[in-house]
Amino acid sequence: MRTLVFIPAWNEEASVAAVIADVRKALPGADVLVVDDGSGDATAERAREAGALVASLPFNQGLGAALQTGYLYALRNGYDACAHLDADGQHPPEEVARLLAEVEANRADLVIGSRYHSGAVAASGDYRPTFSRRVGISVFRFFLTLATRQRFTDTTSGMRAANRRVMALFSQHYSPDFAEIESLQLAVRQGLRVEELPVRMLERAGGSSFLTPVRSAFFIFKGLVVLLVGQFRPRQAEAEQ
Amino acid sequence: MRSLPLGAAEAQVHLTSQTRIVAAVLAVFFMLLILDLIRRDRLQERYSVIWFVAGLGMLAGAAFPGLLELLANAMGVRNTNVALFSVVLLLLLGLALNFSVIMSRQAAQITRLAQERALEKALAEKGAEGRNGSAGEQSLQAEEEGL
Repeated sequence: MRTLVFIPAWNEEASVAAVIADVRKALPGADVLVVDDGSGDATAERAREAGALVASLPFNQGLGAALQTGYLYALRNGYDACAHLDADGQHPPEEVARLLAEVEANRADLVIGSRYHSGAVAASGDYRPTFSRRVGISVFRFFLTLATRQRFTDTTSGMRAANRRVMALFSQHYSPDFAEIESLQLAVRQGLRVEELPVRMLERAGGSSFLTPVRSAFFIFKGLVVLLVGQFRPRQAEAEQ
Repeated sequence: MRSLPLGAAEAQVHLTSQTRIVAAVLAVFFMLLILDLIRRDRLQERYSVIWFVAGLGMLAGAAFPGLLELLANAMGVRNTNVALFSVVLLLLLGLALNFSVIMSRQAAQITRLAQERALEKALAEKGAEGRNGSAGEQSLQAEEEGL
């Protein structure tokens, strides 16, 4: 079983080395790839020093394109399973290991680490969403559940594990703008087994969220349009005809 | 106080010959401009067809005002100028949409190009460190094409 853990990073020089070190400790058998999304700082250098392989996009392409780069690398280099987590230190690698175990046991094709699943334990210093974020979360949760007829609690989680079927799909189709939500919808529509696992997440180490109320509203609106359009995409069976 | 004759509202507003001459001259200049852009490699042929069609349409409208009046009647518009504006507006809308489609395709191509380059460089870096063969290289081609 060959496993790849990849970390999309955009200007995360402060935290990326620590995240890599944690991943290597928690998952000693896995290869670590950092997808540097056109960072202007020393993210790539810090990642190399920490012992990760670095794929640097020549200019910033957005999270979706960065994640797709990771899936493409995993697919092309014959990995059996892959996982990704954020570079800001919000995602404990031990939890990533649990997601990977689900995929390796072939209980699911794609496993999402959920912050809000009823089983997730809240401890001090753990992740607590702001109000505008909570609104967005419930809206997406409702509509994604409606669209996929499967219950999702954490639609925007950036901590996931996947097998080769998912790699093949995501390396071909991955929306650059609304990566997290549309990819879930797509995976379910293609008949893949998508599963959520409750995980612990930490408060981000530094920096603040980009979401202001106006931006949140726009983000939600954009997300709903994307979901609606996604409902009209061909399913696997139809696409093969 | 005099009331307007009832028939006045029914009268059709035609293009004046002045408008027709201006339109024809503009259309000719427009098409010459496009030819020049193609000649100097500033515009690719495949993107110029739609502009030529627009120029020819303009010329046809100026030369045969009957066409426009026919169109105005079909749209239920009494003022031929309004019909002309509507058609041009629709044409521009179509062109803008066409450009959005082209832009999206090129954005996707640029993204893939960036990804390919990033992966190539990463693999070259890895190869320089130690020569580990990549096992899945053969089977992957089939998998990627399978989708």
